[in-house]
Amino acid sequence: MSMEAKANENFFIYEVFSQKNVSASFVHQFSLLAPNEEVALTMARENFLRREPCFNLWVVKRDHIHGLPPEERPFLERLDNKSYRETKGYGDLQARWRHHKEQYEEQQKHAGNGS
Amino acid sequence: MGDIVRVQTVEHAKQNPQYAQALADLLFQLADDDFILAYRGSEWLGLAPHIEEDVAFSSMSQDMMGHAVMCYQMLEDLGLGKADDLAQLREAVTFRNAILVERKNGAGEYNDNPHYDWAYAIVRSYVYGLHKQVRLEALLQSSYEPLALISRKMLTEHRYHLMHWQVWLKQLANSTPEARHKLEAAITKVWEDAGELSSLGQNAEHIVRFGLIAGEELLRQKWLSNMKDIFQKAGLSWPGEPGVPGEKGRAGEHTADLVQALATLSEVYRMDPAAKW
Repeated sequence: MSMEAKANENFFIYEVFSQKNVSASFVHQFSLLAPNEEVALTMARENFLRREPCFNLWVVKRDHIHGLPPEERPFLERLDNKSYRETKGYGDLQARWRHHKEQYEEQQKHAGNGS
Repeated sequence: MGDIVRVQTVEHAKQNPQYAQALADLLFQLADDDFILAYRGSEWLGLAPHIEEDVAFSSMSQDMMGHAVMCYQMLEDLGLGKADDLAQLREAVTFRNAILVERKNGAGEYNDNPHYDWAYAIVRSYVYGLHKQVRLEALLQSSYEPLALISRKMLTEHRYHLMHWQVWLKQLANSTPEARHKLEAAITKVWEDAGELSSLGQNAEHIVRFGLIAGEELLRQKWLSNMKDIFQKAGLSWPGEPGVPGEKGRAGEHTADLVQALATLSEVYRMDPAAKW
């Protein structure tokens, strides 16, 4: 820490992403200072992943991440009139399936009693 | 060598006093090495070159202290006293650590103008770590099964420790001439003591005969050959055969550095050893 003034020239901000298990998505966790990718990966584990389980890690130089300034963010907006793009129509599929299955089983039972 | 008996429990180990003695002698070496080097590591708190390293180094020192705890606990199970007492109430002459791990971190004191040597910390931790790797791998075959079991546990964490110091060695080896110069000076200094690491102490013959761990020469050759590879890959010239210090740490001969370290680390514990924490 005594090298702070000098360190700033050679150190870069890295954003760290971690994956909890093989099927999980990478989640952004935090950022840290390091002179290169190798050191960033080395520091990430001990600084922020001492308690949480972790399966894999990514580090990305912050300069390599491009985002939107506030004035451009409005281009993300759209009209709310295209419900066909959403999948909520399938939400009750399981309930419907159960209903038909019960009906079918009920019919089978009555047919069996009749014979 | 053909009559090595597998020992599964501490009760079984205690049935043969010679076996129990050899086991205790080895455990003190393992415990004291990790404990004292972890203490030296903890003295870097707030002094490492940058905050990320500060946290990482402290965390690894805690890991290593945890490894020492497992060994002291096994000594407690053997009936040699409470683990906490074994770590904090023994006098320096009963410590069996190698001299390399007790050396101070550099000039000054922790509380008084510390000018610690970062290159020395890297080289000492890495050279020690490479030796520990060989030792833990050999312990997987130990005749004392509880020891093989904890060695497997330690290897899990040790993998990261080795990788960490490897990264630092590479950084210094490929950096400015000043970094390179400091690295080479640190290698020279560590090398003067490193040869003692593979010593199994005065009871080595029994330790090996009972199959507790492979022989000194085997451990030493494997460790040296791993280090030669690493030096070559880092473009560092091989410093030759490692030396041994004047004092025999494995026989309880220690420097004033250890006496000072023990006085500091046990200061609070000694005030009231019966206190509940």
